[in-house]
Amino acid sequence: MANNLLVVILSLWGIAIQNYSLKDVSTFEAFLIEAFAPIQRGALSTREKVSSMLDHYVMIVNTSKDNADLRKRVDELNNKIFEFQEVKKENERLKQLLQFGKEIPREKVLAQIVSWDASNEFKVLRINKGSSDGLKKMSPVITMNGLVGYVYRLTPNYADILTILDQNNRVDSIVARTRSHGIVEGISEFKCRLKYVNRTERVEVGDEVITAGLGDIYPKGIKVGKITQIDKENYGITQSIVVTPSVNFHKLEEVVVLIEKTEDENRDLAKEQSNE
Amino acid sequence: MNKYGPKEILLGTAKTCLLLVILEIFTTAFLPAMGVINFRPEFNVLIVLFLAFKLETPVLAWLIMIVQYVHSLFSIEGWAIGAFTGVLISLSVRYLKDMLDFSTAISTIIVVQIFQVAWFLATSFLLSLKLGDFGNFFPLLWQDLPESVALSILSPFFFFVLDRVWKVNSRAAGVAI
Repeated sequence: MANNLLVVILSLWGIAIQNYSLKDVSTFEAFLIEAFAPIQRGALSTREKVSSMLDHYVMIVNTSKDNADLRKRVDELNNKIFEFQEVKKENERLKQLLQFGKEIPREKVLAQIVSWDASNEFKVLRINKGSSDGLKKMSPVITMNGLVGYVYRLTPNYADILTILDQNNRVDSIVARTRSHGIVEGISEFKCRLKYVNRTERVEVGDEVITAGLGDIYPKGIKVGKITQIDKENYGITQSIVVTPSVNFHKLEEVVVLIEKTEDENRDLAKEQSNE
Repeated sequence: MNKYGPKEILLGTAKTCLLLVILEIFTTAFLPAMGVINFRPEFNVLIVLFLAFKLETPVLAWLIMIVQYVHSLFSIEGWAIGAFTGVLISLSVRYLKDMLDFSTAISTIIVVQIFQVAWFLATSFLLSLKLGDFGNFFPLLWQDLPESVALSILSPFFFFVLDRVWKVNSRAAGVAI
């Protein structure tokens, strides 16, 4: 009974101090995350290998032995072509990502998605870049299509991103056409809600929502999504607006983390440039 | 139900945590890599329910906490809400012990489903309380139900495996599959 009581008290303390907007990790926790994340990352390559094997080897199980070597060679070449095509596609995607957001005066770090959060309640992504790559907590994360979220938890080589689909992530936003101000909050099923927009604001379905630049996390003008549903209730002073994010989270593979340099780092950078 | 010594507890905990890590990697990385993003079964819940149903040890609450801590490495949910809910459920199981039947697969599925609903009710309530927004209470509750049904269907097999890990006496509390 004493054990139960102790764990209940500890848990209540844990619930009280749990912060769903930002998380510090202990060295032990970071060590364990660092240990498991490469296995999560390996799942992606496993998929490619499995699909490649299914595509290229299962079909030739029953062919004669004479043809086996030739077919194997053809398969190897096909695999190579497949790999090159994948690399080409990846290069194109990364190139577009790097070209995107040139006007945003922040350092950009490319990262790949490693895994999703284990709980349905939270919409969190793990990426393969961490503090050793210069990432900082609360650094905004984007793609060429728009806003993804911000860095919530950080270890030396991995980071957890609290996406805009998560109810704990609140983005100061404006409707681009009417400049109406509101807060975008995640709801389930890959949708967000734009809250606190006055009933008198004439927003329409199809209007684009962008970041307002307030709140010290996201730069101004990044696409958040489009308004897909508006419900004006008979009561209240605001309207219920559903926003579909610009980013297709189903097909997300790479992201860009925007890192704001400190004044000292900016000074060093300027010094380096003047020396050059 | 069985009683365990320190060696059995340590070994059983290590094996259970290893199983959880494999299942969490499957859920967080392998399923999304296959394009399944909206379906994430919470195996930690199933493991905690197994511990609550089948294990009789004074350190049960600590075992639940360890399982939840491992889960927190893969989720920002943290360990606390699950540990609190798990201990409450293990206490309720103690009082309902005589009513719970794991002799057939169907009865196991039904019992697991009922306790999963209780689990999600408790965690959704705690999460809503923590976030100060009860508007998301029902969406939080509903979104876990499809996965919970899948987990309940899997539970007879899953309990069969964990019975072997913890060497639960099959005649006393075993599950028929």
